[in-house]
Order: sequence, then structure tokens, then C-alpha cells
Amino acid sequence: MKKKPRIRTTVQILFFMLIALIAVNHTLAESGRGIPFVAEASLHAVCPFGGVVSLYQLITTGTFVKKVHESSLVLMIIVFVSAVLMGPLFCGWICPFGTFQEFMSRIGKKIFKKKFNRFIPYKYDRYLRFLRYIVLIRIIQMTARSGVLLFAKVDPYYALFQFWTGEVAISAIIMLVVVMIASLFVERPFCKYFCPFGALLGLFNLIRIFPLKRNPKTCISCAKCDRTCPMNIPVSSLETVRNHQCISCYQCTSGDGDCPVPHTLEFKTGSFEELEK
Amino acid sequence: MIVDAKKAALILPLFFLLGIGYTMITGYWRTDSSKQPSRYSEGELAGEYNPADIRGSYSLADLEASFVIPVETLAKAFGVEDHNDLSAIKVKEFEESIGDIDGKEVGTDSMRLFVALYLNRPYTPEEGTALPQPAYNILKKEGAAPAAQLALFENRLVPLDTFILNEVDIHEDEEESGLLEIKGKTTFGELLESGISEDQLVDVLGGLPMGATALSVRDYCKEQGLEFSAVKAKLLEYLD
Repeated sequence: MKKKPRIRTTVQILFFMLIALIAVNHTLAESGRGIPFVAEASLHAVCPFGGVVSLYQLITTGTFVKKVHESSLVLMIIVFVSAVLMGPLFCGWICPFGTFQEFMSRIGKKIFKKKFNRFIPYKYDRYLRFLRYIVLIRIIQMTARSGVLLFAKVDPYYALFQFWTGEVAISAIIMLVVVMIASLFVERPFCKYFCPFGALLGLFNLIRIFPLKRNPKTCISCAKCDRTCPMNIPVSSLETVRNHQCISCYQCTSGDGDCPVPHTLEFKTGSFEELEK
Repeated sequence: MIVDAKKAALILPLFFLLGIGYTMITGYWRTDSSKQPSRYSEGELAGEYNPADIRGSYSLADLEASFVIPVETLAKAFGVEDHNDLSAIKVKEFEESIGDIDGKEVGTDSMRLFVALYLNRPYTPEEGTALPQPAYNILKKEGAAPAAQLALFENRLVPLDTFILNEVDIHEDEEESGLLEIKGKTTFGELLESGISEDQLVDVLGGLPMGATALSVRDYCKEQGLEFSAVKAKLLEYLD
């Protein structure tokens, strides 16, 4: 049976193309050949993480880190507000680098089938998932100290959308290649183990207003949600998913995702009993 | 209340539209630099522009607007007199075109130092920052910093001849003559492409093997403890 196209994929592709267009147009605009009516902003200017790494400098000196502008701060606030409601919706629906990794993973899924995304034993993986918090702390600390966007030197997202400019550090290119290869084995490896912005947004899962909830009364314990979760969260063993790795991708949900039972896995407030009444 | 995928698909794009739209209307949305350095927030210079915040992307016209130093003076301080648009020269171009001289770097930080001394404002330059001789001469003649203050930076002086800094003309000349302009960023690969042989490079480097093709000559000189200016001069002889 042919799978129905998911609304998330459409949104992801649209944002991927938008960012690619902005990145290309920035290069064209520098030589006076910009595409009319398309933003000429740099990639840094449209990245909300720029707002995060600039916060310290903004508070202490009133200025932004080099190459970061007001737009990054605005985007950061928008993403944070949405995260209070829906957690890391940005990661699962908007981030072009998450989308890119998912595209790469489609090849991995074809090669490794059911083994895909199950290569790292859980006992190690659960600790490795905290690596990205170390990255987050180091990046914020080093950027605050230097006033320079140091993450760009290892940022595969920057490498992907700027590789033609000659401004990308070789370390970032290497990182991109590593992530591409890793994506053949693991779903979203960069998001899981390295992304500092994903780490920060992941914390919103702990306080989000609309968490993922499982109705144990209707759940048939088929564990399809566990298998379909790109972030390997054991959804079927939880009633309310507040895992820091959830990216609100809807892959596991009833109706929009793979859960075969209606109204069993949903992003919602309140309990299932309230709805039944 | 349930948030299904359709609602989720609307949330962020809607927030983006509203947030960006609102900040555009209020004038806060900016995707490029204001090209104005920050101001001192306290002390007797409070409200004045701070030379420490000069960035490589600023043009000489931006500096003139903030610090009221004529673009001609700024350009002359860094050895540029003959240029079709002095105002458009960006500070980072000095670093790209001059770079390392005698182990000290002429770049954005040199401009910060020059402006600070010209206006007698406090600034501590980075360790390897150079002060070009023409800049020093101007500071002695017209700068606000006292002689004793200037003397503190004499150990950073580097000789700098007047040179032509004109990106557009350089590229045109390259296309016409096929000659390569040696800059700080010039790589060994570019030198080989321009017609210099590997043996000639070894000769220029005093018998050392050339670096990787993607490596800039300046970085290689730094690594090997060679003077970039001397290597550059030899390379120019070959190119001529």
C-alpha cells in the first residue's frame, strides 16, 4: 500500500528550499546579482541559535556576536515561545539540517531495513544522548569569551548551505561528511548527539504545555510507536512522554502517525478520561 | 485540547509570520550589521563610539561616519592612496591584502589601534597586531594621543609601502595579464595554477617543500617561521 504523504514532509521541504534559496541568494547578492524579492540575509542572520550564543554579549555589552544580527534574536524568541507550547517543533518540522539527515536516512533504511537506527546499544546510547549538552555549554562559554561564532567552524549545517563560498572551515566540511555517513546508520545523528540548539530545545519537553500522551486503556502494546520513533524513545512504556529527545515529529501518533489505534497517542493537555466524559 | 499535525504545521509558520512581521513594522528586524560600532556605556567617553568594536566588514566610509576621521586619512594610514573609491574599501581588505609583515599582522585590529590612538581613546590591541609606519606618521602629525602614549606602540611598527588596493581592477588585470596577486589568502594551489613550478616554490621557500595545495602561503610561512613579506617578494619576482 502506498503511504499517504505527510504534512510534516511538505513543511520540511518548503523550509529546506527557503533556506537554500536564501543561502544562494546571499552569495549572488554579494556580487550584485541577487534574485529580486528574495531575502539577501546571510545564513547566520536566519539561524535562531545565533540569538542563543549572543545572549551573554547582548546582556553585558549590548552588542551581538560578530555576524549575528537582531533577526537571530527574534527567531530565537519565536522558537522558544513555540517550544513552550509544543516542545522542539522547530527540530522536527523546520530545521533544514534535520530534514537533510532524514533524506540521507532514507538510503540507510533501504540498506539496513529493520536494523537501521538500532546499531548503538541502549545502555550506551542513553548516556551518549547527553553529549549535546556538553557541546551546548562549551559553545556558549567559548562564544561568550571570544565574541566570535566559533561553532561555525564545526557546524555541518553551515557547511551544507555554504560549501560553495570558500568560507567554510575544513573541519565543518569533515563534520558534514561524518554526519552524512552516520545518517546511513542512525536517524538524525547530529540532532541526537551533537546539536547544541536541539539540546536546548529538548529541555522544553520537560515543561511543554502539549506533551505527547498515551492512553493505556486503548493501547494494544504493539510497540509500533517505539519502532517508528526516530529518536528511539520507548513511547509504549510511558504515559506522558517528556523525554528530552522528543522532536514532536508526529511519527508515532494516532491519526497523523503510525499508531494503529485512534486517540491513543496524541499531543494534548488534560487526560484521556476527561475527553471520554 | 489536542494539537494534531495540521495545527502543528500552522503553529511555527504562523509564529514566524507574526513575529517577523511585527519586528519589521517596529524596525527591530535586521539581517545585516548596522555598520556602527557600539558606544561606551560609562565613564567620560560615555556615548562615544568605541574603536574596539570596529569590524572587518565596515567600510572606510562607515568609520568616517562614526569617528569623523576622513577616509583619505584612514586609507593613507594603511598605504593606500590610489584607489577609485576609497570610501568603499572594507577594513578586512587590509588584512587580506597586506596581512603578515615581520611576524606582525596588519589587519582589522591595526585599524582599531589606529583609530583609538588618533582619537586618544583607550584600546589594548592583540599581541601580534602591527601598526603600519604610515599610520604612525599620521598619528605623530595629527593624532590626539600624546607622544608618550604613541611611544608605547613603537615596537609594533612595520614598514609599509604605498600599494594599490583595488579589488575590481586587480581581477580585471588578472584576466588580462594572467598575473596572480599575492595576498594573505593565496594558496599553493593558486600559485601552481598561475604557472610557478614546484621547484621554484621550493627555491622561494629556502629549500623547504611546498605546503598542501589548499594551504595559504601565509599560514605555511607562519608554521615554518618564515617571513611572509620576504617570500611574497620572491614570488613576485617569479611572477614578473
